[in-house]
Amino acid sequence: MQLTGKHIINAAPAVVWAMLMDTDTLARIVPGISRLEKTGDHTFNSILEIKLGPVNSSFTGNLQLENVIVQKGFTLRGQQNSKIGNASAALKIGLSLVNAVQTEVAFNGDIRLSGLLATMGQRIMSGVANTLSKQFFANLEKEVEKANV
Amino acid sequence: MSIKISVTVNGVKHHDRVEPRLLLVHYLRDVLRLTGTHVGCDTSSCGACTIHVNGKAAKSCTLLAVQADKTKIITIEGLAEDDMMHPLQEAFKECHGLQCGFCTPGMIMTAADLLQHNSKPTEEEIRAALKGNYCRCTGYHNIVKSVQYAAAKMKAAKKPKKEVVL
Amino acid sequence: MSTNDWIGKSVRRVEDKRFITGMGRYTDDIILPQQTYASFVRSPYAHAKIIGVDIRAAKSMQGVVAIYTGADVASVNGVPCGWQVNFKNGDIMKEPKHPLLVADKVRHVGDAVAIVIAESQAEAVDAAQAVNVEYEELPCVVNAAEAVKPGAPLVHADVPANTCYDWSLGNPISEVDEAIHNAAHVSTLEFVNQRLIPNAIEPRSYNSSYEAATDKYTLYTSTQNPHLIRLLMCAFVLGIPEHKVRVVGPDVGGAFGSKIFHYTEEALLTWCTKKIKRPVKWTSTRTEAFQLDAHGRDHITKADMGFDKDGKIMALRVKTFANLGAYLSSFATCVPTYLHGTLLQGLYTTPKINVDITAVFTNTTVVDAYRGAGRPEATYLLERLVDLAAHEMNMDPAELRFKNFIPPFDGINQPGYQTQVALQYDSGNYEGVLKKGLEMLGYENFRNEQKEAAGNGKLLGVGFSTYIEACGIAPSAVVGSLGARAGLYEVGQVRVQPTGKVSVYTGSHAHGQGHETTFAQVVADKLGISMDDVEIVHGDSEAVAFGMGTYGSRSIAVGGSAIVKSIEKIIEKGKKIAAHKLEANADDIEFASGKFTVKGTDKSVGFGDVALTAYVPHHYPAGLEPGLDFSSFYDPANFTYPFGCHIAVVEIDKETGNVILKRFIAVDDVGNVINPMIVDGQIHGGVVQGVGQALFEGAEYDANGQLTNGSYMDYCMPRADDVPMIETAGQVTPCPHNPLGVKGAGEAGTIGSTPAVVNAVIDALWSGGHKVKDIRMPVTSERVWRAMQN
Ligand code: FES
Ligand code: FES
Repeated sequence: MQLTGKHIINAAPAVVWAMLMDTDTLARIVPGISRLEKTGDHTFNSILEIKLGPVNSSFTGNLQLENVIVQKGFTLRGQQNSKIGNASAALKIGLSLVNAVQTEVAFNGDIRLSGLLATMGQRIMSGVANTLSKQFFANLEKEVEKANV
Repeated sequence: MSIKISVTVNGVKHHDRVEPRLLLVHYLRDVLRLTGTHVGCDTSSCGACTIHVNGKAAKSCTLLAVQADKTKIITIEGLAEDDMMHPLQEAFKECHGLQCGFCTPGMIMTAADLLQHNSKPTEEEIRAALKGNYCRCTGYHNIVKSVQYAAAKMKAAKKPKKEVVL
Repeated sequence: MSTNDWIGKSVRRVEDKRFITGMGRYTDDIILPQQTYASFVRSPYAHAKIIGVDIRAAKSMQGVVAIYTGADVASVNGVPCGWQVNFKNGDIMKEPKHPLLVADKVRHVGDAVAIVIAESQAEAVDAAQAVNVEYEELPCVVNAAEAVKPGAPLVHADVPANTCYDWSLGNPISEVDEAIHNAAHVSTLEFVNQRLIPNAIEPRSYNSSYEAATDKYTLYTSTQNPHLIRLLMCAFVLGIPEHKVRVVGPDVGGAFGSKIFHYTEEALLTWCTKKIKRPVKWTSTRTEAFQLDAHGRDHITKADMGFDKDGKIMALRVKTFANLGAYLSSFATCVPTYLHGTLLQGLYTTPKINVDITAVFTNTTVVDAYRGAGRPEATYLLERLVDLAAHEMNMDPAELRFKNFIPPFDGINQPGYQTQVALQYDSGNYEGVLKKGLEMLGYENFRNEQKEAAGNGKLLGVGFSTYIEACGIAPSAVVGSLGARAGLYEVGQVRVQPTGKVSVYTGSHAHGQGHETTFAQVVADKLGISMDDVEIVHGDSEAVAFGMGTYGSRSIAVGGSAIVKSIEKIIEKGKKIAAHKLEANADDIEFASGKFTVKGTDKSVGFGDVALTAYVPHHYPAGLEPGLDFSSFYDPANFTYPFGCHIAVVEIDKETGNVILKRFIAVDDVGNVINPMIVDGQIHGGVVQGVGQALFEGAEYDANGQLTNGSYMDYCMPRADDVPMIETAGQVTPCPHNPLGVKGAGEAGTIGSTPAVVNAVIDALWSGGHKVKDIRMPVTSERVWRAMQN
C-alpha cells in the first residue's frame, strides 16, 4: 500500500532534523512506540503498540535510517513482526525549506502487510495510516512548541 | 484468575467460575454442553450463535460469559415449551426452512425476536430482520416462508383468546 | 393409489427434528474423554523460506501437551491427488508433495508450519502464538496467466513454468481455427471466472482418537465422503491398515464441495493422536477457512464463437488458464478438464469445438471442486457468448438459442446425443425449458417494460442461461480411462429386520440434502411400507460397507440406484420365500404394495411375514439361505445430464450503478423427482450461490499473495435482503439409464444462475446504449457505474 503525505512545521529544517535524529524525541513522535532502542548509528530496535480496527497488537522489529542526507532527508526502512502478521515499510522522508522558520516534511513510500493484518486490516489500513500520520505531525508540532518555549 | 457467574439458561440456574476471556458461546457449548448454539465465524457476522439474553436476540460470540452474569438466557434447546414446539420450529420443518441445519438455531432465535415485536411482518421486514444471519444452503426463500408461516400460525392461535376478551 | 406411494411427494424431512431443537451433532459438538485441542502456526507470507522454527518458549507454556513441526513429519507422505491428467505430449502431470506440515518453504498464506496441542483450545492458541518462525520472504505469483511466463517465481522448484499440465479436447484445432476464420460473425470474450470461497457455515472440524489396547483409530470429520477419506488417509498418507480406522462424518453443516477433499489436518491429527495417545480436536476458525478450504473457479479465459449469417453456431474455441493454487487438492485436476472441457457443447449443435487448458500452480490457496465444479465455468462461457452474440448480431437471445438447440431426444427411441467433447448426453428436451421460462417471464411484456423503465432513471435487463451439466458421477470405466484413481460407483445395503422394519446403509453422505427423507421415500415406496419403518444410516465407515460419498449431484442417481438394486434382490428372495409359504411357484409371485401375491389369485402374504420367515426359517425353501439383507455396488452406465433454463431480471440505478435482482426464474429438468420440496430447496440455494458469484463474491489477492478479503466483514455473500423469492418450475425428461429415472439436482442452481444474472446486467446496459461486451464479476455498483460512463 502506498503512503504519501506532507505537512508544514513551524521550525527551521535544522531544528526538525535534530528532533528526527534524536532517539528520545523520535520515540515520542512516532505514534505507538513503546520502546525504541538505538543499536547502531542509524539502527534501532523497537516495540510498537498499534490498533488497526478489529486487530490490535504489539509489534517488535527493527528500524533503519538509510540514505541519510543531513537536513534533507532519509529513508526509513523497517520490519515489524507481530502475532497477527508482519509489516514491512520503506518510507522516504524529505525536508525542504519553506522559509527561515518553516519546514515542509514530506513522506512517500509503501507498506506491505501479511497474515491476519493483511486479511482483516487492509480494508481499514489507509484510514489508519492517515490517522497515524496525522498523529505523527501533531506530535512533531508539540515537540517543536516545547522547544520554542 | 476466574470469575464467578450465575446465569439462568433455559430456566435452569447455573453457578460457574469462568475465565474472564471466555466467550458466552463457548460457555454455553463447552461448559454447559448446549451445543445447539453454533459458531460460524470469528467476526460476529454470521448469526449462527444467536440466543436470547433477557428476552432479546443477541450474538453469543459478541458477549463474554462474565457479561452474562445474572441474566436469563434462552437457547434453541429451551425454545420449545414442555415438548410443544415453538411455532417457528414447526414452521421451519413444514416449509423446508433448513437444509444442513447449521444456521437454523440462530435463524430461529432471530426470527423469534422479530415475531415478538412484529406479529405480521412483511417479506421485506423479515428479510431485513434476518440480514445478520448467513445461510449458505437455502437461498433464504424457504426461511422467509417459514417465518411467514409461523407468524400466521401464532396469530391464529391468539385469535380465539381475543374474541373471548371482546 | 396406495398410502405407501411415497415417490414424488413433498414429504417433510425426517432429519429436521434434531436440527430445529438444537440436537444436531456436528463434529465440533463432540468432546471425548481426555480431549486435547490443536492450534496451528501458519505462514503469514505467500512464499517464503523457513529459516528456523523455535518452539522452546511455547513448549513450556501452561497446558501444552505436544508441538510438532515440519521436521517431525518429514518422512510422512503428503496428501494425494485422486485424478491424474496427462500433458498433451503424454507426460504425467506434475504432482508436488503436499506435506502435512511444511519444513522447507511456505507456499501460500496459511500454510502450516507447526501444530500445537494443549489441554484447552485457549492454551493451544496462546502457545501457537509463542512459536517463533523466522522466514525469508520470496517473490510470489498469484495470477495463473502470469505464472507460466518466463521468469515468474516458481512455486515448486521442480515444476517448470508452474505448469501442472496442459490439455486439450475436441476437434483438431486447425479445423476449429478454419471454421472460426470462415464464420460470418465471431463473438469473442476475454474474461475472468473469479475465485470463490465456498464458506459452508460450519467450519471444518476434526477429532481423531487412538486406542492403544486395540490399535484402533476413530476420526470424526466434517466430510462429504468418510470412506474416501479413510482410503486416502490410510493407504496413501499414513500407511495404516484401513480396518483399524473408523471414519465418521456426523452431521455436517453444509459443504458445497469444500468438504470432499482429504485435508492435511485430518491426516495430521490422526498421526498426532497415536503419538500422544489422547484424542486431538481441531476446528477451523473462519479466518482459517478462508485461507485453507479449497477455493473454487479461478479461470482466465479467451473464447471465440463463430456463427454463420443466420446465427447458427459454427465453432467454439476456448483457451483457459486454470489456477490450482499452491498444491494439488484431491480432485483439483479433473475440474478444469473433465468437468469443464467436456461440457462445452452446451445445449447447442456446434459442429467444431476445441478447448485448451493450462493448469497452473500459484502462491494461493488450493482450488478444487466448488458447487458445480467446472460446469459453472463452462456454462458461464457459453451463455455469456451466446447472449453477447445476440446483442452483436442484433438478434433476440431466446431466438438465437432456439435456432441452435439440439432437438429433443429421449435416449430410448432416439439415441443419446454424441458431443464433440467426449460425452454422450442421455436425454433432453432443451426447447421445452426455455419455452416454459419465457412464459413465466412474460417475455413480450417485459420488452415493453424495459423501454418504459429507461424513462424513469432505471435500466431494466433480462438475462438468459440455458445450461446442461454432467451429474451422477460416474461410470467407473469411463472415468478410469480419463485418469480417475478410484471407481465412482456407490454402495447401498438394505437390511430387512425380522419384524419387517428396514435399515438402509448408504455410502452416500448428506450434509443438507435430506437423504434420510428422500432415500427413505424410495425404499418405503418400493417395498410398499410406511416411511416410519425405514431408517437411513450413512456417514460411518464402521456401519456402511463402503461408499464414494456425495458430490457431483450423484447421491440419488448413483446412491439411490444402488439401494434400488438391493431392494430388487430383497424382492427376488422374498418371492421365493412367499412362494414356499403360499405353495406356489416363485415365478407366479408378484410383489406390489407391500404384498406378495400369487398372480391372478387373492392368495397373498405380507412383507412383514416374509421378513419374519426369513429370520425364523422353520418352514423354508430348501437350499435358500436365511436372512433378508442385500448389498449392491451400483456403477452407472453413463453420467446423467440435467438441464434447464434460468432467467434473471435486474434493475440498474442509472445514478449509482446499483444492481437489484428483481426476479429469478428457474426451470430445471432434473429427470424424475422423488421429493419436489427438497429439489426446490436445492435449486433455491444453488441459485443464490450462483447469484453470489455474479453480484457479490470474489477472492481478492494483492500482489504479495495476501488474501485481502478473508473474513465475513470483507467477503460479501448474499444475505436475506439481497435476493428475491426464486420462481421455480420443473420439466421431466427421465434419465433412461438408471432405475429411478433421476438425474440429480444439487448443482443445477449454481450452474445455471450466474450467467443469467450477468447477461441481465449487460442487457440492461445495452438497453441504455452502453454497448459493453463484458463486465467483471462480481458485478458491483462501481463496475456498473464505470461501464455507464463510457
Ligand atoms: S459465531 Fe458468527 S456471529 Fe457469532
Ligand atoms: S441450512 Fe445450511 S447454512 Fe442454513
